[in-house]
Amino acid sequence: MENSKKILIELVNVYKEYRVSEISTLALKNVNFKVYEGDLVAIMGPSGSGKTTLLNMLGLLDRPTSGKILFEDKDTSKLSDKELALLRNIKLGFVFQIFNLVNRLTVFENIELPLIPRAVPRSLRAEMVKEALLKAGGELEWLKKKPNQLSGGQQQRVAIARAIVGNPPIVLADEPTGNLDRASAKIIIETFLNLNRKGHSVIVVTHDPEVANCMRNIYVIRDGAIMGAYEPNPSESLISKMM
Amino acid sequence: MSFYTLFFDFIRLSLKALSERRARAILTIVGIAIGPLVLVMMSSVVSSYSDYIVERVTSLGQNAIAVFPMENYKIDGEDLDFIRSLPEIARAEPFFSTQGILKRGTEEIKVSIFAIDYTLLFEAIGSLKISEGDVPSGLLYSIVGRKVSFRDGGEQYFALNDILTLTIPKIESGKITGRKNINVYVGAILEEYGGALIVDPDSTVFLSPEAGKKLLGMKDWSGIFILVHDPSFVRSVVSTLRSKYENKLQVIAFSAIAEAISSVTDAIGFINFSTSLSAFAVAVAGVAATMITSVMERTREIGVMKAIGYTSIQILTLILLESIVMSLIGASLGISLGTVGAHMLSSRGLTIGGVGLTLQLAPKITPTLILQTLSLTVMIGLLGGALPAYRASRIPPIVALRYE
Repeated sequence: MENSKKILIELVNVYKEYRVSEISTLALKNVNFKVYEGDLVAIMGPSGSGKTTLLNMLGLLDRPTSGKILFEDKDTSKLSDKELALLRNIKLGFVFQIFNLVNRLTVFENIELPLIPRAVPRSLRAEMVKEALLKAGGELEWLKKKPNQLSGGQQQRVAIARAIVGNPPIVLADEPTGNLDRASAKIIIETFLNLNRKGHSVIVVTHDPEVANCMRNIYVIRDGAIMGAYEPNPSESLISKMM
Repeated sequence: MSFYTLFFDFIRLSLKALSERRARAILTIVGIAIGPLVLVMMSSVVSSYSDYIVERVTSLGQNAIAVFPMENYKIDGEDLDFIRSLPEIARAEPFFSTQGILKRGTEEIKVSIFAIDYTLLFEAIGSLKISEGDVPSGLLYSIVGRKVSFRDGGEQYFALNDILTLTIPKIESGKITGRKNINVYVGAILEEYGGALIVDPDSTVFLSPEAGKKLLGMKDWSGIFILVHDPSFVRSVVSTLRSKYENKLQVIAFSAIAEAISSVTDAIGFINFSTSLSAFAVAVAGVAATMITSVMERTREIGVMKAIGYTSIQILTLILLESIVMSLIGASLGISLGTVGAHMLSSRGLTIGGVGLTLQLAPKITPTLILQTLSLTVMIGLLGGALPAYRASRIPPIVALRYE
């Protein structure tokens, strides 16, 4: 059935080859993939299958060796690095496995980081930061703390707040529960579901079937090729198992 | 507005980054501070003393030349006539000079005695002023320097019309055969001239040429004092006199002395500047090492920043600002310590051998020196930070994010 929703990102015949000395590795092979408005997608695959490479392509962090990436129908190969950075800042939010928070900065300062390059006035920032933290399931009392004073789950919620502070339509998460215990992982997944309900498209890369089963669609990638889309099995999801 | 928001946010982020690696940043800042410290301290002191010395020599008259007979040569009327016949010469007058001892109560002080045409004296040394009395006309009346009339404590010992008793060497056939006392009146007292390098009017008793001959009993002129029409003639007159008299006369042009001193002080200034530059060069290496380490440690963080929308130029600016902030702190520290050091150094004073003159001058810390030092130090930040900042800005985000 043809999806009537707006396409935000489209990968068309994308190949990605990495070359180290004489050895080349094809990380993505003829990948065609679409991210729609309001998507809640899991990309699953074993280690080295190319799922992070796919996420990097979707996140405009890397350019394909061949093929095209269309972002809101615009061919990104024609965009400069500066324009790509601007798109990432406004349209995309990133969540990483190891949180990647800056420990010398407070939680507030970490969350406001994406607002700095677009010079959001300081008077607006406090409200935006607080709103993002609450939306990410965090607590306002964390704002003055340093990330290393928080638990892993709490840090990941701060990382999610940083990803959504600029209200991007798409949130990309690379193994967001990989470093968390099951209870914290459940909270993080619930946060993503909540964000999706509030209109964000969420793409989660994971090798954990229980996490993938929490999403609305699952794409399996193997040896750089997308094997197909699968319906999740809610009874095997992390949320139902932790209930 | 957005530029200032961005700028202040970047400064804040830079300060935070430096504060995280406080010990390393402090050591780098100390390294940076050495250059401005040395430059401000040495330059201000050297330029203060050199400017003073040049100014003093220059005040003796840029169009003045003095000639002195070499051993076994006597200046006579023929020489005087020849000098006066040169077209560049405005005036040429002979003078007598000797050393004497002045009795001032129980103390005896060493004084110079110059018998010279008074009008020529005041014409040649423009800054020489009379504080008490007028230019005397009588044979027995003298003009005395400040230190002759006043004791070191500022108490006046000789007033106008007081008698000075001078003990001078008795010279017969060009040899000192004994001593004799002469008495002269104080006809005028000079204002304090300050430390002088070639002539010291403060410790001098000036007499008329007539008195030089009759009272001092000197038959041979000690020299001829010459004024040329324009300072630009000095070189040619000196050259003419040297070629005519070769080893008979010593020809001294005050402007040449000023030039020589100037070139020596310029050389000292250059050596000082070069030494400071070495310190600056070391600081550049220090900043570069600190920033390269810092960039390596923060590679992943740089990747995250790029991922969330920082452009390469913004990353470059952030890293560069860190090194500039360090160099600005280093410059402030160095300039402050340099200022303190300069005052301590100049408070020790400078004794000029030969004339026994001790100068104690405030260091010459000018806005130009501060700006020059500040610019050089900021340049350290730019140079030292340029390569690490460029490298950081070129790291592809996915490479940075994979960095362990």
